[in-house]
Amino acid sequence: MLARAILGLTAAATLALGTNSALAADPPSDRVLQIDRYTSDKGRALGQKFQGPLRDLNAKVYHCMPWLDVKNEGIGFYKPKHIDGDIRYLSLNAIVDQQPAPEFTRLSVQERVSAMFSRYVPHLLRSMATSDLLKEPALEGFTVIVSWLKAEPTGGQPPVLETAAAFMPKPLVADYLRGRVGITQLADGAHVLAWDGETKLGNVKPKAWADDFVLTYKVAGYTPDPRATCP
Amino acid sequence: MRGKHWRSLLIGTSLLLVGGCASSEEWNTWRSNTSHFASKEHYDFSMKNSGGSSASVTRNDITMAKNQNWFGRPVTVAQEQILER
Repeated sequence: MLARAILGLTAAATLALGTNSALAADPPSDRVLQIDRYTSDKGRALGQKFQGPLRDLNAKVYHCMPWLDVKNEGIGFYKPKHIDGDIRYLSLNAIVDQQPAPEFTRLSVQERVSAMFSRYVPHLLRSMATSDLLKEPALEGFTVIVSWLKAEPTGGQPPVLETAAAFMPKPLVADYLRGRVGITQLADGAHVLAWDGETKLGNVKPKAWADDFVLTYKVAGYTPDPRATCP
Repeated sequence: MRGKHWRSLLIGTSLLLVGGCASSEEWNTWRSNTSHFASKEHYDFSMKNSGGSSASVTRNDITMAKNQNWFGRPVTVAQEQILER
C-alpha cells in the first residue's frame, strides 16, 4: 500500500559517504543491554538465560536490515513504563535510516505510524519471538520501537525524528506468528505510543496491512555477511 | 547579416544563462552543504567506486555513512521515556 518510492532509504542514497576497512564487520555489542544493567532479578535472569538469542537478534538486524540502526542498549528485556509492576517485554529499539519523501511527510501522524508499523513490526517480531521465548513464563510480551526522520531538516535545524513504540502481549504475538490472527488484529491488540521529537503525542491506533518491503528490499551492491541467515 | 548573427549570439547566451544556472533553491542547498565530499572516507568511497559498474558496498560502508551524519544529532525521545531497565 505504501509505495516503496515513498520511503527512499538514506543508506542506499548515501552509501557514497565512506568506507573504513579497519572497522570490524561484527555488530556492535553495546546494542544489547548488559546483564549488570538490569534493575531487577527478573530482568537479570532473563538477560542471562537469553544472552545468545539476543546476540543473534542483534547480528541478524545488523546484517540483514542494514538500514536499521539499533540504538545503544536497544535490545533487552525491558519493563514498559506505562505498565505497573516488574513486567518484562523483549524490546527492540531502532532508527530507520530513510529519506523522508514529501508524500510521506504529508501523511498524518496516524498514517505514518501505520505505515511504519506495517513495514517493521511483523517482520521484527518474527526475528524476536523465538519458540523458546514464546515458552518463557517470565516474559510477558514484545516491544518494537522505531524512529524515523519526520522531514528533511532545513535552515541548519537539527533533524527531528518521530517515534512509534508498539507494545504487544505475548499471547497476541504467538497467535499472530502461528497464523491464528492477522495483521489487523495484531495492530488492534497493540498498545502504540508516538512521539514527535521529544514531545509525547500519546496513544495512536494504527491501521495495518501486509508490507513485504523488508523481505524484498536490497541495498544496491550490498551482500550480507554469509554467516547471517537472512530471510 | 552581421546584426542577425549578433542577435542569435545574444539569444543563445541568454538561454544558456537562464537554463544553465542554478535556481535560488539549488543555491540554498549548495550553501547549506558547502563541501562536495562529507569526509575523506566519503571521497575514498567515491573514488573506489567511480567506474561505470555498480558500487561494491560492505556493512561497514553503511555504518560509516550513518555515523557521518551531515545534519547533526537528531532530536528524538530518549529510551528511558519509554522503557525501564
